[in-house]
Amino acid sequence: MTHDDGGSAALTTLLALPLLLVVLVGVLELGALRAVAYRAAAAADLATLVAVGDQDQIELARSGNLRLAADAADTARDYFARNLSATAPALAASATAIAASADIASFPTAPSFDPRTGVRYERPTVRLIAVVPVKTPGFAALLMPAVTTLTIRSTSSPR
Amino acid sequence: MKKCTAILLMSIALLSSISANAREPLDDESLPLPPPPVPDPVAFVVPPGVYYVTDTYVADVVATSDATTTYSTTTVHESTGTYARVIDNVSTGASSAFDGMAFNGRGALTDGQALAGTYYENFVLTAGGYVPVSIVFFQDDSETKRRQTGSSSAAATKAAATSGAAVTSAQPVTSAPVTSAQPVTSAQPGSINAPPLSSKPQAPIEPVGPTLRVGISLAPDGPTLASAEVLRGRLVQFWPRVFVNDVAVPIQSWRLLSAQPDHISANAGSTQPLTAQWIRMPAPGVSWPLRFEIFSLVAPTERLEAQIAITVRSPALVD
Repeated sequence: MTHDDGGSAALTTLLALPLLLVVLVGVLELGALRAVAYRAAAAADLATLVAVGDQDQIELARSGNLRLAADAADTARDYFARNLSATAPALAASATAIAASADIASFPTAPSFDPRTGVRYERPTVRLIAVVPVKTPGFAALLMPAVTTLTIRSTSSPR
Repeated sequence: MKKCTAILLMSIALLSSISANAREPLDDESLPLPPPPVPDPVAFVVPPGVYYVTDTYVADVVATSDATTTYSTTTVHESTGTYARVIDNVSTGASSAFDGMAFNGRGALTDGQALAGTYYENFVLTAGGYVPVSIVFFQDDSETKRRQTGSSSAAATKAAATSGAAVTSAQPVTSAPVTSAQPVTSAQPGSINAPPLSSKPQAPIEPVGPTLRVGISLAPDGPTLASAEVLRGRLVQFWPRVFVNDVAVPIQSWRLLSAQPDHISANAGSTQPLTAQWIRMPAPGVSWPLRFEIFSLVAPTERLEAQIAITVRSPALVD
């Protein structure tokens, strides 16, 4: 290595380092965002599963058919807020507020049609669509939005 | 001196000694334990005249042949493990202390007289003895149209009295003047309720008996169901029900004939329902039958079967 080659390498490193840092921060932030998205989706899945795990006992005794409990949507919203609270530090809004604004619909009997998604359900179903704002400080450091919005969906039915 | 003192002390000690009350464990352990108190034996009362039932009541039968109407009882040769005894023999029109107590009732002739027959009391044998469960009346009577009177037809009366086959009389008996447009049949006490007279032979009357219906409901007063969808892991109560002429009657006992549930409260019972829980999941599209054997109080010897198909479901995510 000559004296001139060593100076060239140092200069190259000095110029590439910011770019490497940007890429590194972006990758880390995307990874963190992906982890939050998974946890929020799991919170929604568990909430809808709990909601369809309750049965209208009066209808069961009357007809023998499985009909969702009348408070299935409320149950899903409540459990969604509880499950989402574990991810609260990464969220840009409170778990309660996110759950309150979620679009949760219960279709206690089947078949039924979901006007929002256009899906026909063959079983009693609970459907949840929520918008989850997530803090992304890494993106903010890169002059990108400090809050990234995730839209999660979950649908459950007894099968 | 020392010797005297020692002797004195020894004497005092020996004289003042008492027997020790120390417990000797081995002595106690060697003693046999006293037997537990045995309650006084309770007399096992066997009602007089009780016998083992080999023929079971099925239905009351009323049949008409020519001018004779026969009231009888059909039975089936079947042993259901119950016992019975005769408690009263009654003749036509006679009253009995058991009138109104039989689950199948006591019929009457066309003139209102109570039928002749026999009252039986049914028992089941329990550890406490013979327990009466019901009373049944076996009717055994008949009536023949003895006379048929009409205010304006002596000839018809004579024909009926002589031939004994009023239902084949060619002339309708009327109680209205001859000029009346519509003949009116009449019957006097003691004769059968004469149907419109015709030359056709009288067909036997269908047996008249209570209609038993069984089923399973998911509530004490709920409707009986052929199938039900239940959630995995949930406790569900199943109530065996018996209906006589669509009126619910109490059941005497039930027994589960199939055993698919993973957890059940009991294999048999009486007034309590079956509580069942499914943990395993069936194959898609498969339902599990839950079969019961039921005995009712109104027909304790009649074995009834009811079934409900169970579909077990579990919450799942939808793609």
